[in-house]
Amino acid sequence: MKLLLPTNLRTRLTLWYVGVLALLLLIYATLVFAFQYAVLTRQLFHDEVQDVVTVEGLLHFDSYGNLRLQQDYYSRPQSHLLIDRMMEVRDSSGSVLFRSPTLRGMSLDGPNRPGEGDTSFNERIVRLSDGSRVFLVSHLHTMQGHTLLIRLGYSLAPLRARMLQFLLLLVIAIPLALALAGLAGQMIALRALRPLRQMADAAEGITIHNLANRLEVNAADELGHIAKSFNHLLDRLEQAFAQLQRFTADAAHELRTPLASLRAVGEVALEEGRTSEDYRDALGSILEETARLNESIEGLLLLARAEATQPQNQTSSVCVTEVVDEVLQLLDVVIIERQIEVIKEREERARGVSVQADRSLLRNAIVNILHNALKFSPNKSKLCINYSRTENPNSRILIAIQDEGPGIAPGEHRRVFERFFTSGSLDTVSKSGSGLGLSIAKLIIDRIGGRIYFDEMIKGGAMCIIEIPLSNK
Amino acid sequence: MTLVRAKILIIEDDRKLSAALVSGVEAAGYEVIAAGSAEEGFFLAHHHQPDLLLLDLTLPQRNGLDILRQIRKEGLDVRVLILTSHNTVEDRVEGLRTGADDYLGKPFSFPELVARIDALLRRYQPVAENPVLSVGGLCIDRRARTASRNSTQLELTSREFDLLLYLAENRGRTVSREMLAKDVWRETSRFSPINNVIDVQVARLRRKIDDPFSVKLLQTIRGMGYSLREPGL
Repeated sequence: MKLLLPTNLRTRLTLWYVGVLALLLLIYATLVFAFQYAVLTRQLFHDEVQDVVTVEGLLHFDSYGNLRLQQDYYSRPQSHLLIDRMMEVRDSSGSVLFRSPTLRGMSLDGPNRPGEGDTSFNERIVRLSDGSRVFLVSHLHTMQGHTLLIRLGYSLAPLRARMLQFLLLLVIAIPLALALAGLAGQMIALRALRPLRQMADAAEGITIHNLANRLEVNAADELGHIAKSFNHLLDRLEQAFAQLQRFTADAAHELRTPLASLRAVGEVALEEGRTSEDYRDALGSILEETARLNESIEGLLLLARAEATQPQNQTSSVCVTEVVDEVLQLLDVVIIERQIEVIKEREERARGVSVQADRSLLRNAIVNILHNALKFSPNKSKLCINYSRTENPNSRILIAIQDEGPGIAPGEHRRVFERFFTSGSLDTVSKSGSGLGLSIAKLIIDRIGGRIYFDEMIKGGAMCIIEIPLSNK
Repeated sequence: MTLVRAKILIIEDDRKLSAALVSGVEAAGYEVIAAGSAEEGFFLAHHHQPDLLLLDLTLPQRNGLDILRQIRKEGLDVRVLILTSHNTVEDRVEGLRTGADDYLGKPFSFPELVARIDALLRRYQPVAENPVLSVGGLCIDRRARTASRNSTQLELTSREFDLLLYLAENRGRTVSREMLAKDVWRETSRFSPINNVIDVQVARLRRKIDDPFSVKLLQTIRGMGYSLREPGL
């Protein structure tokens, strides 16, 4: 059975279409046929009733007491009333008083039935002795003291012939119509599916080298919609790819800088006339540089790890304030040394709330943000950590970390989160690290559905705001 | 101390790293044999019966874990320290499951490597744990968690005491920031501003234990870390 199903979408569509059309036509034809038959039968009945009434006026008994039909009203034999009608008149005892010549001596149905013709006109179909079928009506008529039973009928043969003709017409016309419809359907499907084929061809041709190519969108219909979605997918892919390329280039650059300094220090040290103190110094400098290189690589690996985390992956309910306190404890010695006053403010509603996150990654994000704030804080300044909660549009905790450092240069509020970003501002250039800390923090916070940004309205210092959706539990 | 020096077999395919390891470990007072491939290493392990195997996991042809598995199957009595450049949790766990005694991720600090080798080999010889450690007039009581220098009691925070104790236990040796982060701060993530925290903490400790005295014990070894030692020793 499976083999018979065409795999071609076009043929399948056409087959469905033709199948449904055939079914509809069949139902339609049956209804029309039945209706036509009913209408014609009714018509026959009415004619017969009319004829019976007419005949009643034309019947009379002659002087011998025989029942006669007055036949002198017609001008031509073709107009003869009973030329295609069959009539039989019986008296109440059942003996035939009159029989039309069209019956050729056959009896129009058997003996009188009880109650036949009593009430208006009885209709029924009977079979004559020669096998032909007749549709007849019966009616009782009282004339000159006699009660007469008039039976008048039409042969059904012409009706049957007409219905047969009609059926023949349908039998020829329906398959013809279906064939035409199938052909048309095939053509329509071909036209409708052509853009799909073009899209498939275009998609086939897209590789990493021409990611910028797009499908043509020339219709506002479903196919146009598919093409649009496909183009959006390509947009995202292209973006991600460009980002990856830029990142690889950046990373190579960032790794090359310490390498250059390693090389320079080594080469300078090997020049003649150096003391062993110089060598120690050069080696120490080289080791420091390798530590920096290693830190960059660890940062890149951490980025990759955060990048690979899926929202529902390896997360648990984490209490944010607890993590912040833990980080503050880690950085405690720096805070004391720099005589920085840490002020914690907490809205009552923000107490003890938890979020869904990978704890070690979240901790890492907060370490980076707090350390960044501390790094730029002058000695004896204040660092304010404020927790609040917002319900709009969903429950989130807001952690605002404000320092009294030099702040962020105008236009750099977003860029500070870029990988390997280092500010051009002279205030901060000496304190720049690997340039990955904030981008790692941002990636981690983004991955748990949060948001991190610097408030652009703050003057005198910087305020970093972290928003994280609360877990439902 | 002991007449017979412990024997260490190094299986590492990178020639430069291997040469550095050989001279460094030899300088730390061990007898060293080196192999550049898994097959050679396997042969040498049988032939020389080393006390410790320093095994690189990414070797050409045969994986380091394969060798480890076979060595454990044959029941060779040898400590194994693995060196890996894929320093992931899965990697470390698999290494330990296969029968390694310890692991170290590349790039590692040399002092840390030596400290680990010492620690692994010391397991054979029980050391009498003296509760009081002393380095040039500096006395550290592990049990009471107190420290004094030239009979002057030092006021140390808990973290400062841990740091000093760790430095004293490794006296005469250089301790890297990675070692401090791992063993004193118990930080697992290596990319964090922990180095800054360590530097500040060491500076504060130095102020307490060295500044009031003429002889400076806590030295900064540039590019490597810190060392607690008596000058001139």
